[in-house]
Amino acid sequence: MAKRTINLDMTACDNREMRIGSITSWDGSASELVAASNYEERGKGEKKKGCAGGKGKLCQLCELHMPFSQQTMCANAIVGCQIGNITDCILIDHGPIGCSANHARFNLGYKMGLIRRGKPVENLRIFSTNLKEQDMVFGASDRLRQTIQDAFDRYHPRAIFISMSCSTAIIGEDIDSVADEKEAELGIPIVPLHCEGFRSKHWSTGFDISQHGVVRQIVKRDPVKQPDLINIVALWGTDYFTDILKPLGLRVNYMIDMASYDELAQASEAVATATFCHTLGSYMATALEEHFGVPQIDAPQPYGIAATDAWLRAIAKIVGKEQETEDYIQREHERIAPRLAELREELKGLNGFVMTGSSYAHGLISVLRELGLGVEGSIVFHHDPVYDSGHEHQNTLKYLVDSYGDVPHFTVSKTQPFQLYAILNRVKTDFVIIRHNGLAPVAAKLGIPALAMGDEHFPVGYDGIIRVGEILLDIVARKKFNQVLARHTELGYTNWWLSQEDPFILARKPELLDEPIYEENGGRYDG
Amino acid sequence: MAELKQTNTIVHPRYGCAIGAAYTVAAIPGGVPIANCGPGCVDKQYFALSGSNGFQGSGVAAGGDMPSVNFGENEVVFGGAKKLDGLIKSALKIVKGDLFVVLTGCSGELIGDNVESVVKAYKKQGYNIVFADTAGFKGNNLRGHEIVVKAIIDQFVGDFKGRRRRTLINLWAEVPYFNTFWRGDTAELKRILEGAGFEVNVLFGPQSAGISEWQRIPRASFNLVVSPWVGVGIAKHLEEKYGQPYLHIPVLPIGEEATSAFLRKVVDFAGIDPQKAERFIQTEAHEYYYYLEHFADFFAEYWFGLPSRFAAVGDSAYNIALTKFLSDQVGLIPVKQIITDNPPEKKRDSIAALYHDLTQGVETDPVFLEDGYLIEQALEETDFGSGVPLILGSSWEKDVAAKKKGLLLEVGTPATEEVVINRSYIGYRGALTLLENIYTATVGGK
Repeated sequence: MAKRTINLDMTACDNREMRIGSITSWDGSASELVAASNYEERGKGEKKKGCAGGKGKLCQLCELHMPFSQQTMCANAIVGCQIGNITDCILIDHGPIGCSANHARFNLGYKMGLIRRGKPVENLRIFSTNLKEQDMVFGASDRLRQTIQDAFDRYHPRAIFISMSCSTAIIGEDIDSVADEKEAELGIPIVPLHCEGFRSKHWSTGFDISQHGVVRQIVKRDPVKQPDLINIVALWGTDYFTDILKPLGLRVNYMIDMASYDELAQASEAVATATFCHTLGSYMATALEEHFGVPQIDAPQPYGIAATDAWLRAIAKIVGKEQETEDYIQREHERIAPRLAELREELKGLNGFVMTGSSYAHGLISVLRELGLGVEGSIVFHHDPVYDSGHEHQNTLKYLVDSYGDVPHFTVSKTQPFQLYAILNRVKTDFVIIRHNGLAPVAAKLGIPALAMGDEHFPVGYDGIIRVGEILLDIVARKKFNQVLARHTELGYTNWWLSQEDPFILARKPELLDEPIYEENGGRYDG
Repeated sequence: MAELKQTNTIVHPRYGCAIGAAYTVAAIPGGVPIANCGPGCVDKQYFALSGSNGFQGSGVAAGGDMPSVNFGENEVVFGGAKKLDGLIKSALKIVKGDLFVVLTGCSGELIGDNVESVVKAYKKQGYNIVFADTAGFKGNNLRGHEIVVKAIIDQFVGDFKGRRRRTLINLWAEVPYFNTFWRGDTAELKRILEGAGFEVNVLFGPQSAGISEWQRIPRASFNLVVSPWVGVGIAKHLEEKYGQPYLHIPVLPIGEEATSAFLRKVVDFAGIDPQKAERFIQTEAHEYYYYLEHFADFFAEYWFGLPSRFAAVGDSAYNIALTKFLSDQVGLIPVKQIITDNPPEKKRDSIAALYHDLTQGVETDPVFLEDGYLIEQALEETDFGSGVPLILGSSWEKDVAAKKKGLLLEVGTPATEEVVINRSYIGYRGALTLLENIYTATVGGK
């Protein structure tokens, strides 16, 4: 373990943009982004050099700075939907009640997740310190102490996590000290998470912060190897990984959502760590690799035939089941071939568009292309030029371009619906695949139905290709509804804006904002 | 029952924070909220008020479309005014709208940005734009609603010198998006008030004419507040500003008797000719009792058990309205009424008094609780007798309802097992829909 890039001594982890140079605003082709990312070089050396402050040849990812922006998620919300979904631990939102206003949405996801994983279904239990104006003036640490005590008395959790909000960060709440003090008093881990929403320019830093807290304070320091256990860093998806990995004799340990304290603690005892999405899983996999010697799977993600083959082979190598795996791969190819051929015929001529988190999109596009569909464009909500591991074979965007060809219109944009009209106008598409809210309703009014990929494991593995193909036939039929909408509803943007062909025009020509738009808006005719 | 101790802690929240009033703006046709806050703030509000509240959707300028500064570290350190200025400037070019409202959240207020001076520059250029201080620590989205409405009145509607229209009234009833059925209920209130001879500024939702209706607010002869407490502050403000009187009816009317009484009270206050209202009431009553008579067969002779004792958990407006109707008109027995919207301390006695006069011989004491843990504990300890417990509440009550083998009807946020488009549970027609839904839940699940 010579190389250690992840520092578990600190309670906070560095922002993703500083650590690995992540960007949120870019437009071009996928192959151009592969070249600009320079994954191999970044993977070898200092990874953090992005436009955020570095210099030299690794500072090539220039962003498009738009003056207009629309609401997005934040890192604090991500921590809520990660740490808040541990079954026997409690998360405390240390902030005003508004920071907890989405708990019912998280509850829905949590309950679905519990159903999918066959665990007892019950309500989510995230606490709020529910801060008021006087707490902003006099400090809120006593509120936090009270809420920690309430959580402890009511549910006797195995651990308590504390999430920082914008307001508590600005007033300088010392959650580390309160955590230390209550940990000593209550005798359970109390984990501070520095996830205030303004901190990172992208919410995915919230994944890293969650994982940092778990690896730092929950994972066992004296692991006893479990040779049949494999970690899968996941979200709420259906348990398809057990089916996929059973032939290799492996048991799946899902993290973090719906996991228990013990399931998280045993992460250091696993034989390997893999994930359905390197954007999500890389920090944790790398931390476990560097600090506990648990190797991570150096392969692309298991989407499409070739990548699934490569992923299984990489796991087989670690567990020493290479020959069995070759036989298994062969059988699987033969098993899905007839239905895949039928689906390719049924889906012939259709085009799709993918709008999801970064490396997950790379996987989804692979699956669509595997099904013979056209994909002329995609939006990823951010882009990591390299993952924390820096491992060569995890370069998912390069793998997509090398295996399935270029994606001519590849956009990095953080759920900005106002850009979507121009973006969709430059591609042919019969449907969109989405995660996160806000974009699909705009596509819907343009006559385009959406496949909301709420079960993120759906496209995984060989059967995932078949599942996606089959559901797309259902989704495309919904176009009838979208055509009704398109005939009778309008988007909420000015004609001037909708006439712009470049979704990033204002980054390139900000002076356009000083020119009149010749239509009445906001009560004024701007002529 | 164990003593219920409410600390600052809240589990299972039933409201958003003040900046949730972005949805008050979004409910005005042509209204565009501009969120001057962190990246996740209004996304979270979306779920409390719409996405996890009947899946109401968000129209064209809210949800994912809502302009937002998305405060970053840079703004916290160096101030957010510059970024806000760029956002407003571009929003006025990009987002179609008649009225833009800048809502400042915790970060902007804590670092002390001068939002007023940024906004005033655009106002001077002739844009309809106002600003409101809606930091989350100032209170919940109901306080935010009142702050934003007052800001629009003061900064946009402005002064008024002119004659009032005798039959025109401003309606301040349910809070847009927060009250799950606000659209259907507003439509029903408008329908019945028009039926009684009024013109109504509903101000929010598809029946509103948008900002032209807001500009007509001072022309109304009075403000009609139909809510236990939310909106009374707005009416008082309008009274001070325009010398406009207000009529406060604390209980939303449900069922023929309450709705007809409601209309008579409004007509009486307005001093208009009651003839039109009486004719309308007669027609509505005829239709209502036609349906009730047919429903009565089921109610009288359904062999397989009906719920009797019920609990209501939710905001003051819906809680008292449903409790009153079911106690007074259906003969169900209220056993636990929990008010969850944190009404001001000084309003609580008058709200509680409404429960002391539910119907002849029936009274109850409501509890004011906001912490879901305590709410669910209180329900668990409630004695519902031998029948099937009926809980009118939110999605959070699902687990305790299952434990009690009860029926849960989601009537307030969060409601993640209801898809709500234009349903109403109030007035003449809504009362029948409410009966349909309670008893459909009762006969279902076999």
